[in-house]
Amino acid sequence: MGQTATHIDFRANVRAVEPQMPASVQKATNRFLGTRASVVGVFGEDRWQQLRQCGHDLRRHTIAHLDHYLELLEQRVTGAGGHVHWARDGAEANSIVLEIARKQGVRNAVKVKSMATEETGLNQALIEAGIATLETDLGEFIVQLAGVAPSHIIAPAVHLTKEGIADLFRQKLGVEAPAEPVALAAIARARLRKAFLAAEMGISGANFMVAETGTLVIVSNEGNGRMCTTLPPIHVALAGIDKVLPDMESLAVVLKLLPRSATGQKMTSYVSFIRGPSKSSKEGGPHELHLILLDNGRTRVLADEISRDTLLCIRCGVCLNVCPVYNHVGGHAYGSAYSGPIGSILTPQLLGVGIAGDLPFASTLCGACAEYCPVRIPIPEILVHLRRRVVEGDRVDGPAISPVVSAAAGAGAAALGTPWLYEFGSQALKVAGTPLSKEGWMAHLPPPASRWTDVRPMPAFGAGFRDWWRNRTPQGRRLLWRRRVLAGAAAAGAFAAIAAWRLTRKSGRD
Amino acid sequence: MKVQLFLTCLGENFFTPVLRDMVMLLERLGVRCEMPEGQACCGQPLFNAGFQSRTIGPARQLLRAFDRTEGYIVAPSGSCADFVRHRYPELFPPGTPEHTVAVDVAQRTFEFTEFLVKVLKVTEVGARFPHTVTYHASCHILRGLGLRDEPKQLLLGVRGLELIPLAEEETCCGFGGVFTVVNPEVSGAMMGAKVRRIEDSGAEYAVVGEPGCLMNIAGGLHKVGSPVRAVHLIQVLAAQE
Amino acid sequence: MPVISDPARAAILSSVRSALGRGEDGSVPPVPASVRMPDRIPGTVDAEIGLLCEEIGKLGGHARRLTVADLGQVLDELICDEAIKKVTLWQTAEIKALGLAELLSERGVEIVSPYAGKGALAGCDLGVTGADMALPETGTLLLRSSAKRPRSTSLLPRVHLALVMPSAMRADLDEALAEAQDEGHFVLITGPSRTADIELTVTIGVHGPRALYVWVLER
Repeated sequence: MGQTATHIDFRANVRAVEPQMPASVQKATNRFLGTRASVVGVFGEDRWQQLRQCGHDLRRHTIAHLDHYLELLEQRVTGAGGHVHWARDGAEANSIVLEIARKQGVRNAVKVKSMATEETGLNQALIEAGIATLETDLGEFIVQLAGVAPSHIIAPAVHLTKEGIADLFRQKLGVEAPAEPVALAAIARARLRKAFLAAEMGISGANFMVAETGTLVIVSNEGNGRMCTTLPPIHVALAGIDKVLPDMESLAVVLKLLPRSATGQKMTSYVSFIRGPSKSSKEGGPHELHLILLDNGRTRVLADEISRDTLLCIRCGVCLNVCPVYNHVGGHAYGSAYSGPIGSILTPQLLGVGIAGDLPFASTLCGACAEYCPVRIPIPEILVHLRRRVVEGDRVDGPAISPVVSAAAGAGAAALGTPWLYEFGSQALKVAGTPLSKEGWMAHLPPPASRWTDVRPMPAFGAGFRDWWRNRTPQGRRLLWRRRVLAGAAAAGAFAAIAAWRLTRKSGRD
Repeated sequence: MKVQLFLTCLGENFFTPVLRDMVMLLERLGVRCEMPEGQACCGQPLFNAGFQSRTIGPARQLLRAFDRTEGYIVAPSGSCADFVRHRYPELFPPGTPEHTVAVDVAQRTFEFTEFLVKVLKVTEVGARFPHTVTYHASCHILRGLGLRDEPKQLLLGVRGLELIPLAEEETCCGFGGVFTVVNPEVSGAMMGAKVRRIEDSGAEYAVVGEPGCLMNIAGGLHKVGSPVRAVHLIQVLAAQE
Repeated sequence: MPVISDPARAAILSSVRSALGRGEDGSVPPVPASVRMPDRIPGTVDAEIGLLCEEIGKLGGHARRLTVADLGQVLDELICDEAIKKVTLWQTAEIKALGLAELLSERGVEIVSPYAGKGALAGCDLGVTGADMALPETGTLLLRSSAKRPRSTSLLPRVHLALVMPSAMRADLDEALAEAQDEGHFVLITGPSRTADIELTVTIGVHGPRALYVWVLER
């Protein structure tokens, strides 16, 4: 998908969502949440909560000492014979990959699913450089063939039907394709096997990087993670700097959290541990290993103490699964590589609130994501913090709203903070709302309140408690009396002033 | 025992009957009520919309209203209670007099069902409501204040009431404050899903503890012409049918 | 040696440090003790082996316990069930000591060197390896890689057979990773390869082996 330089209009994207998207997305998310509940039950609820806290603490510790762990990682990877590169942004990362490919005369590559490479738009850069690159995760392979973007971090093709996929295979691969998952997977297996065996370069991300040993960790269920990092002679891994972990003990914690949270598995089918290139041709494996460490805005995220926790993310996707907003719109609506709750906090920080200022508002702040996050990222907290960045601006970025909205907020604040103005307003709304109400409901209100009433009616304005309360006590009744007298005096005074003015006008004219 | 009534802006402008029921119920339980006149809105809508600096004004005013009062501050809303309890101390720099007042008020502020179960320690309030009822767990009551069982304990203490479980009970109804206006399409979709679940439950009444959710769900049920009636939890607890 | 003059490296590290609000300092506190979970307490060896086999079975793998004397017969079954014609094997002392190559040859199966080209290995029906460690809680095997333990043996053939000794059992992932951490390459294998990417229908056998057999060899 790559970086976008244009404003992400969430509402417009939502209106463009295909009608079948919510149902297919919910099928996947419900499945994942069900299997997750099962394995967490087996693990033990208390033990799981303890593990979540461990995950949170160790990720926090890592991010707080990120420079140290990155330098240690570099030292160990280099010591094991790997090459470490640093990329400030996506363009730099892509050009490093292209340079490696150019030096080795690489014409074709196979790729394991990697969010970092989506972020940088690596596939597009490779295609433009004439390097044929095949996505090898079945879901990614399918969406690549279809020329569409993935709709879920873990299950990219979940919005496509088996009939649609069969058609796709017939058209793009020129093969007989029954609309049956096992047969379709077999077709993909055969096609991709050829590619694995012939590829000159394997490209991957890294789920984690263990600093102490210089080990790259890649998880996979299909086996393509192993294929891409074992068969081609060159392996290039691109990973965000936030993927580093201190040591193997920390990795064990995260490996227990990730598969259970993501898909409800106790462990993925394969986890590869890669420490430098292969030392022996008999062992097999690439003779050259490159690790590209990507910033691309992560240090900016790091700079803010509250939203820094965004970097704890281990990319499990559970926040998507449990988010009611995501479940109604799917991943495309978020307009960028990362969707759902994590996308709503990460994207505005990576791309800036000018581009992604809608995203922190794509949430009801219900808090389900924070309840499920395996590393306890306080997502609603960060959403509210980023909303401030959007509307008021802070040290890092913003503001990015219209002066009209800002002025309205000022007026609102004044009304809500000034008792007499607030009470007057309540009564005024009640009076003004009377002609608009029928049987206790207002079906149509003018904009912007029409945004509410276009969806469902609003109850009629009915402030009246204070007067009821005041009538119950002597002090209250006295207060009411004083107000009536004041109101009466004000009305009489206004009447007298108008009468006097009219008289003087009249006499002035005579 | 004496409590200070925290009306909340939505409660005051849309749910006067609920506030009256709250007073009647508290008095029935032997609690004296007072209502500080200077209260308006706690400022949560502004804060959640990102206008954090503009929240100070309303927050100051609310603190002024409740400052020299005594006793628990009770609201018919989890989100308002949650906001005052967890955010107010953060709004003012530690060490300032305002901060001290904020901490005091925050500690005294309770959502209504929380007050009944955790302070008065009652789950049976002498209510009778012989109907089938299903309960929607509002997000701030559930996750903000950690009240999963308390509202249901109170409902189960109501004579004649049959509580029918609601599928996706804990899924957000789509209110989310400014969300209804900023993302009306998604809000409507979430509301529609909640309304369908409520209708599927077969209950006569949908019970909600949060004014915002209630506005949303009641409106949604009315729109589809549903016979299911949405009411505030306090109305059920005050009922003596 | 890292290239200290790399401007991207300098810029990123400098950004990290200023974001964290400090300069370059040498001292880093150790990973806090609060991140340690209590270790899992394993059952008896017999119970652990039983659990391992059960978990692998749940994942669609075929696990069984046998003695060396059973090998011949069990191989017959495997060859028949999976139509095995070509096999490649790890060259470790343990595999050699079991005489597997001979047993297979006797049964008319062609032995392909694990050092043959990728194409030849991809054409193998069966890859035979050991397993350096096993984690019963999750049904996981840990396979090291080396000249005698080529990576492709457990990856390219259609079926993967792993021979596990009872001594390979480990209580917890932490223990296993601590033991293996200095290895140049190792892999955790938990069941055969799988996907649910097409309409969430679980399909066994995608790119990695389509079937996994795990035999625990007991005396």
